[in-house]
Amino acid sequence: MILASAGNVLVWAVWMVAAFACLGSGIAVVSFSNPFFSALALIGNLGSLAVLYLLLSAEFVAAAQVLVYAGAVMVMFLFVIAYIGPRQESPWAGGPSWQAVGAVLAAGALMVEIIVVIGLKASGSLAHSAHIGSSFGTPSEIGRLFLTDHLLAFEVTSIVLLVAAIGGVILGAHARREQPSAGP
Amino acid sequence: MREVWWISLIKAAILINLVMAAFAYTTWLERKLLGRFQNRYGPNRAGPFGLLQPIADLLKLIRKESFFPQAAYDVPYILAPIVSTATALAAFAVIPFGAGWTISHHHINGEMANVSIALILLFAFGSIGVYGGIVGGWASESKFSLLGAMRTCAQLVSYEVSLALSVLGVVLMGQSLNLAQIVAKQGQTIWFFIPQFVGLLVFLFAATAETARAPFDLPEADSELVAGYHTEYGGMRWGLFQTAEYINMITLSALAVTLFFAGWHGPYAPLGPLWFFIKLFLMVSFFIWVRASVPRLRYDQLMRFGWKVLLPVATINAVVTALLVVWVK
Repeated sequence: MILASAGNVLVWAVWMVAAFACLGSGIAVVSFSNPFFSALALIGNLGSLAVLYLLLSAEFVAAAQVLVYAGAVMVMFLFVIAYIGPRQESPWAGGPSWQAVGAVLAAGALMVEIIVVIGLKASGSLAHSAHIGSSFGTPSEIGRLFLTDHLLAFEVTSIVLLVAAIGGVILGAHARREQPSAGP
Repeated sequence: MREVWWISLIKAAILINLVMAAFAYTTWLERKLLGRFQNRYGPNRAGPFGLLQPIADLLKLIRKESFFPQAAYDVPYILAPIVSTATALAAFAVIPFGAGWTISHHHINGEMANVSIALILLFAFGSIGVYGGIVGGWASESKFSLLGAMRTCAQLVSYEVSLALSVLGVVLMGQSLNLAQIVAKQGQTIWFFIPQFVGLLVFLFAATAETARAPFDLPEADSELVAGYHTEYGGMRWGLFQTAEYINMITLSALAVTLFFAGWHGPYAPLGPLWFFIKLFLMVSFFIWVRASVPRLRYDQLMRFGWKVLLPVATINAVVTALLVVWVK
């Protein structure tokens, strides 16, 4: 019994640390003027999100999050930022006005979502805890869901990624064709 | 069959020290073997056979003044080697080295963390460890360091894909991402290096490139980049990068032993962990042998080999294995 409550305290402590790390690094991403530090903060954000996934017993999602996003994707960000070099002026400072409108709308939607969740919690609709089997979050269970219940979404995602990859190649080839006239 | 927490703590302390000792004596073994490969003796002054050389090196590194460039960004500069070493040590936690034991009603697992995502976890730690080199090289504010960091970045990203694909065949045959289950499966059936020798070859190439060892040591090619991303590092901070590099080599060797050579299983005698360490020793010696024998690749050769040879071979191997596994079933 004492051990169980010690476990609860541990979970709570880890949750607090991860949640505040998540918030702090999120704020850091948008407030650093050096894009390299922003990218590092984004890695911290993705990492603390992975810890939150772990607390939800989604171990596969947590590991994939670190491997794919915090690992592979962010390495590309850092590569490009380090390659371009430090810029004193931040190129996106100010930004177009539709960006600001979009940001406010997205933040508003999140705000509404949080209020709804807190309201549901207060009214007792979320009082009963979800029943989680021992196979929940394991790779085999996620693989089974991908290839049965969510096959369509899984395949559509792969097509979207393929289109994005082809688009990247075409854009890159386009830029290379225009380069010789501007180059030395 | 859960382990009591204090057993886990003791085991973790022992394991970390074992891995660190293994690292120290891998440097000794490497210098000794390289010496013999090149017709010289290698370290032979500190202690019998130079056995105290790693300890002398450690004392020297710790006592050095830890200066750093004035232009460096100090927080990332100091944190980078720490991240490298911490993730390298953490990755070893999922490697199984025994079947597990029960001593006076206390169960002891054969690995630190028996999780269903062991293999992905190991690669995830590896992908975080990459940041040590990149951030350290960038934060040093030096051209050689930055070039080394860029090379690290490009090389590790290129070969990470092949490394992950090369073990996919083993995962399909072992039907698990849990390393202990993969080892158990090999104990029941066949050591996977026989059906998966293409996977093993790709793994060895990709692992050499991932640990930036010769002939893939372009991130720190000393004749081109001084020392690459750790040019501006000295003392124990440099020592930590070195630690991370060697521990990564040991971990990937241990992973090769686990995935392709049945981990703690062995013929003739059930020696358990001893078999694991014998195989690990042979694997590490193999990497040192390769370093002594093969000259460094050119950068374009490295990229061409990674993307145009290794990646297609790894992909075809994974697809063929998948088809065969379904067909045999």
